[in-house]
Amino acid sequence: MTTTEQTRSASGTGAGTGAAISVRGLRRTYGKGAAAFEAVRGVDLDVPTGTVTALLGTNGAGKTSTLEVVEGLGRASGGTVRVLGLDPIADRAAVRRRTGVLLQTSGFSGDLTVAETARLWHSTLSTPRPVDEALEMLDLGARAAVKVSALSGGERRRLDLACTLMGRPELVFLDEPTTGLDPESRREVWRLVRGLRAAGATVLLTTHYLEEAETLADRLEIMHGGRIVRSGTAGEIADGHPSTIAFDRLERALPQQLAGGVVDPASYGQPRTVVETVDLQATLTALLDWARDEKVRLEGLDARSASLEQVFLAIADSSTDDRRDAPTAPATPKGA
Amino acid sequence: MSTIDLTPASYGTGADARPQGSAARRVLGMARANAVLLVRNRMTFVYAVVMPLVPLALLLAGPRGEAGTGISALTNVLMLAAIFPVYYNLLSLTVTRRDELVLKRLRTGEATDREILASMALPGIAVLLAVVAISVPAAAALGQPLPRNGVVVALAAVLVAGAFAALAFWTAAWTKNAEAAQLTSMPVILVAVVGSLVAILPERVQPVLEWTPGAALDTLVRIGWFGQDADGAAVSFGDSFAASAQPLVTLAVWAVVAASLAARSMRWEPRG
Repeated sequence: MTTTEQTRSASGTGAGTGAAISVRGLRRTYGKGAAAFEAVRGVDLDVPTGTVTALLGTNGAGKTSTLEVVEGLGRASGGTVRVLGLDPIADRAAVRRRTGVLLQTSGFSGDLTVAETARLWHSTLSTPRPVDEALEMLDLGARAAVKVSALSGGERRRLDLACTLMGRPELVFLDEPTTGLDPESRREVWRLVRGLRAAGATVLLTTHYLEEAETLADRLEIMHGGRIVRSGTAGEIADGHPSTIAFDRLERALPQQLAGGVVDPASYGQPRTVVETVDLQATLTALLDWARDEKVRLEGLDARSASLEQVFLAIADSSTDDRRDAPTAPATPKGA
Repeated sequence: MSTIDLTPASYGTGADARPQGSAARRVLGMARANAVLLVRNRMTFVYAVVMPLVPLALLLAGPRGEAGTGISALTNVLMLAAIFPVYYNLLSLTVTRRDELVLKRLRTGEATDREILASMALPGIAVLLAVVAISVPAAAALGQPLPRNGVVVALAAVLVAGAFAALAFWTAAWTKNAEAAQLTSMPVILVAVVGSLVAILPERVQPVLEWTPGAALDTLVRIGWFGQDADGAAVSFGDSFAASAQPLVTLAVWAVVAASLAARSMRWEPRG
């Protein structure tokens, strides 16, 4: 009890004080010898207290492998990890009391009811909210007497989330929290994440939905090939990536000068012509001026700033360089 | 979902911010859920609770009050209680919950690995101890004596429960799924029962068999419950402790070896 209080004050909890998570040079290897596979290859990650950070990446980018180490479920093969100022494995008890984890796949006994499952989880927590409150929080109150095996996928996910938040955590890990949820449930989860942030809690989540990351997160961390390749706000990440102007292919040549705009060679001969530019406004003005003067109609005209999605897809398509020597799939059942 | 207070517990100063967690509370809370699961599934219930009581029926069949019948019936009660509620039940529970990712989920929380394992073993061990407790008046009602040395009987029950619980965790480590458990459980069950076949096996193998849990249980029931040695000679209460030492050590060695094997090989996630 005394040591707990000491570590708490030493780690400096409370919104806006330092990093809730600090990771340096994290590496994680599965298997040994020739079959070894390095899923995480030197990750640095800081999650400031009281913020929402989204970890993005294609399947196999290393998101879950990274998350498992930070959660204290897996051991790193290299690097350092501090969670709430503590070591997630050595200081397990002190860390677990203050964190809530939602795994990528929910794990429940189908023969227990919703209430029994919640009560089981409640019994393991130091500072739980009441079972009824936790279930109400995720609209499961009316389903309390139903067996878990009879729940829909979305209900099961909400029950899992109810367990995650039952211990009133100050740091929450959510591995794909909205995968498989209907749009309404997804929006309710978003409200909970915003509520956690407003209450001063810290959230680290992974998601496949870019709009979800853009809407919820203060910071994005994009992983690829076991490394973090881009970090920042959605705007910062898209910054420097070219904007695009697209229209149906014309039967005549475009002017040489488009204020820095260049036709994307990949669109040659295609039904749609794509012009890339770092200065969307100038290039669009030049294009529209030319079209007016030449009395050309640009059918299906579409102009857009660089988006997170474009950056993401560019990263996903980029050469996976040193991953091609990976001899086998990682030795973990759900991918790295 | 409108007015939910999501303030972290550690930020609050209210009374509910005081941690109320304890190892006992966590283990009992999880064990309670495991007990519900054991009772709810009719198949596991029959195997875990009804099966061990069946040998008591032998007392009705044999000559009333005959010691040989009593020793055989009560040894079988203990052995079946070790095999079904403790070993087989725990083996299939561990494999099933591992494959359902329940174990992985529990490990994200405050409960430690040891607490999670203890909570799984507890219901089966409780059934074993209850079966032994029920057998005392049941056997007495059917003309058998009360245990001569209750301490030896209790020690035998606790040690055999511990040994078979550890064997269950170890077997689970190399059992692919719940169906495979029917096969992977065979070696341990065979080792368990072979000891009670001492009498019909060649004399050469008998020194080896003495170190099996089955033979140890047989000896302990003879000495602790009936106060007699392998040849039927009476053993006094005072001598019964010394006479029980070797079989008790046998069970303890099985428990320690099985526990260290289990600790080395425990798997918490489905086998790939």
